[in-house]
Amino acid sequence: MKEKDGVIDCPEQQVILYVEKEDGKYEPIQTGSYITKNFLDDYELKRHHLEDTLKKKVESGEVSPVYYYMILEDLTLSELSARVGMRKGKVKKHLEKLHFFSLDTETIQRYAEVFNVSVADMLQLTIAVPADPEAPKPAGQ
Amino acid sequence: MSTLSYKHKMAAHCESGAVTSLLNNAGLDITEPLVFGISSGIFFGYFHKMKSFAFPTFIVRNKPGSMRTNLAKRLGIKFHTEKFRDAEKGMQKLDELLDKNIPVAVQVDFFYMDYLPAWERVHINVHFIVVVGKEGSKYIISDSYFPKLVELEAESLRKARFAGGNMSPKGFLFYPEFIPDKVNYPKAVRKGIRKSCFFMLRIPMPFLGIKGIRMFAKKIVTWPAFARDTEHLSHEIMKINILLEDQGTGGAGFRYMFATFLQQASAILEIPELNSFSKEMMEIGDGWREISLFAARIGKNRDLGPDRLKELGDMLLIRAGKEESFFRRLHDIIH
Repeated sequence: MKEKDGVIDCPEQQVILYVEKEDGKYEPIQTGSYITKNFLDDYELKRHHLEDTLKKKVESGEVSPVYYYMILEDLTLSELSARVGMRKGKVKKHLEKLHFFSLDTETIQRYAEVFNVSVADMLQLTIAVPADPEAPKPAGQ
Repeated sequence: MSTLSYKHKMAAHCESGAVTSLLNNAGLDITEPLVFGISSGIFFGYFHKMKSFAFPTFIVRNKPGSMRTNLAKRLGIKFHTEKFRDAEKGMQKLDELLDKNIPVAVQVDFFYMDYLPAWERVHINVHFIVVVGKEGSKYIISDSYFPKLVELEAESLRKARFAGGNMSPKGFLFYPEFIPDKVNYPKAVRKGIRKSCFFMLRIPMPFLGIKGIRMFAKKIVTWPAFARDTEHLSHEIMKINILLEDQGTGGAGFRYMFATFLQQASAILEIPELNSFSKEMMEIGDGWREISLFAARIGKNRDLGPDRLKELGDMLLIRAGKEESFFRRLHDIIH
């Protein structure tokens, strides 16, 4: 890759790229991330949709906040159980909202530490936000 | 060495960057591509199903940790290494070394590096940073992926060093203990190239080396079966770009850095033909970059039908063919 093709203006994320300089020498340059510059909006849109879908599942009682963060942070059941130091079968139960409510604070804290969130963040997810009565209704209702 | 005198430099990759940075600061003049090439960093592996990965994935470098061990063996450098069962002891040891002004590389879970933007951070236990000092409750960090020295809360560093899971760091730390006065670069460079050819061509596993690229090309059409929905598939396809370009490779899945290594190797070994190999690897890298840009584009457009994925697979097959021919000829010239 020629140096001119590697230069990307993206101060949000800098990377090192090895390129061919004008004198033919291959050397590193500090430049911007191509994908962050061009596709960060798409990543954020998908992330937002995923958060919404998972939140609805937690609110409807289908899954627990443990499941919410596990999916959001791209962890598998095996990986999460190894990180939290509990058997896989036990963690599997905690993915259900019913079992999540029977957990003591210490156990929730262990999950919160892995997910790098607070216990309050996890518990707050379980509280369904009532629909705003003032919000405009979709057409046809 | 005080925090102020530690020379921080960004690098393409965290492990080769941390090793290069520690050695440079200890007085050895060595480049990141030399560290990468001597340690036989270039590789390919495809993992279709693994317990610790939520989705099929691939790697473009050798096993984490082996850049340091291979380099040490081949250049006669000694690194002090240590792991800890107890987090308190691990943090205490780090503080003791910093008190003696010894910069220390530590293995961490990338997710807890709070100074990086959220979209970059994922749970991966094989990130390497250099801790160069401590001020109050914060550690001063030299991270190859960040343009300047940064601060990290002690609690975040503790979590990151003692995260559980696959390849958990267990507080692993290292720093150079002995660097020979004279290092034998030609011998080490030859060994590095020979082993790279071996890893790419001769490992008898269908998912590693060139065979791994072919398996990736064949299996990518099955990826939709692993996805929750189209957006999930789009995310995973776009991750091909991130793994090849953004997650510390120097571009094109380390191929550009390997090309740079071969150019430097040509001068060290006084083999002019290696220069043309270097140019050829740069072109191979351009092909990988085309793949990563194509993946990003079809991911963004949600253009993820079987034909498109087949097209992506065909592009990978071409890379496999080119690299097979390349490494066979490179192997012949270096023997």
